[in-house]
Amino acid sequence: MTTHLGVMILFAACVAAVFGTLLRDESSGQLRMAGRIFTALVVGAYGLGWLMYLAF
Amino acid sequence: MAQPSKPVSPSAASAAGTVRPADPTITVLAAWLMPGAGHLLVGQWRKGVIFLVVLTGMFLIGLAFGGRLFPFQLAEPLVFLAAAAEWALGLPRLLAAMIGGGRGNVVSVTYEYGNTFLIVSGLLNLLIMLDASDIARGRKGR
Repeated sequence: MTTHLGVMILFAACVAAVFGTLLRDESSGQLRMAGRIFTALVVGAYGLGWLMYLAF
Repeated sequence: MAQPSKPVSPSAASAAGTVRPADPTITVLAAWLMPGAGHLLVGQWRKGVIFLVVLTGMFLIGLAFGGRLFPFQLAEPLVFLAAAAEWALGLPRLLAAMIGGGRGNVVSVTYEYGNTFLIVSGLLNLLIMLDASDIARGRKGR
């Protein structure tokens, strides 16, 4: 769990759970919102990582 | 003559729209002391439990990763801000300091991750406190 990817996924899951719960009131909406935030965080970080790797 | 009110379960009362408005100051104080406690007070049990589990979990993960509980140092603005963010999680931060946790293992590979978890858990609790305050003040639906 102490790999960069593992910690990033754990962090993204926690943040997504809080924002999903905070921003929506019904369960299905909360799950959908959390899923979207989780995907955006993980894909965004992965994409940015690759961009920095290629650019620098 | 006023009759004593019968105790009503928060979920049933919330469904009927009869939850007594919680005192905003007490709600914010409770939300600061314990993540999710503000939402529990205003009758949003499910949200309160999720916040309690996730934020306390993040804080414990931060400590387990060797993160540091920063002191208030005015000479170091970033350390000061980190300390303020960590103190946004009242009781967990206090208890961790009392049992001597959070000394910060700088040589640990997860040290910075630990700091991130500790700081972000506090910042997220600030948002949750604001949300609980809005609900208690009637600015947001229960």
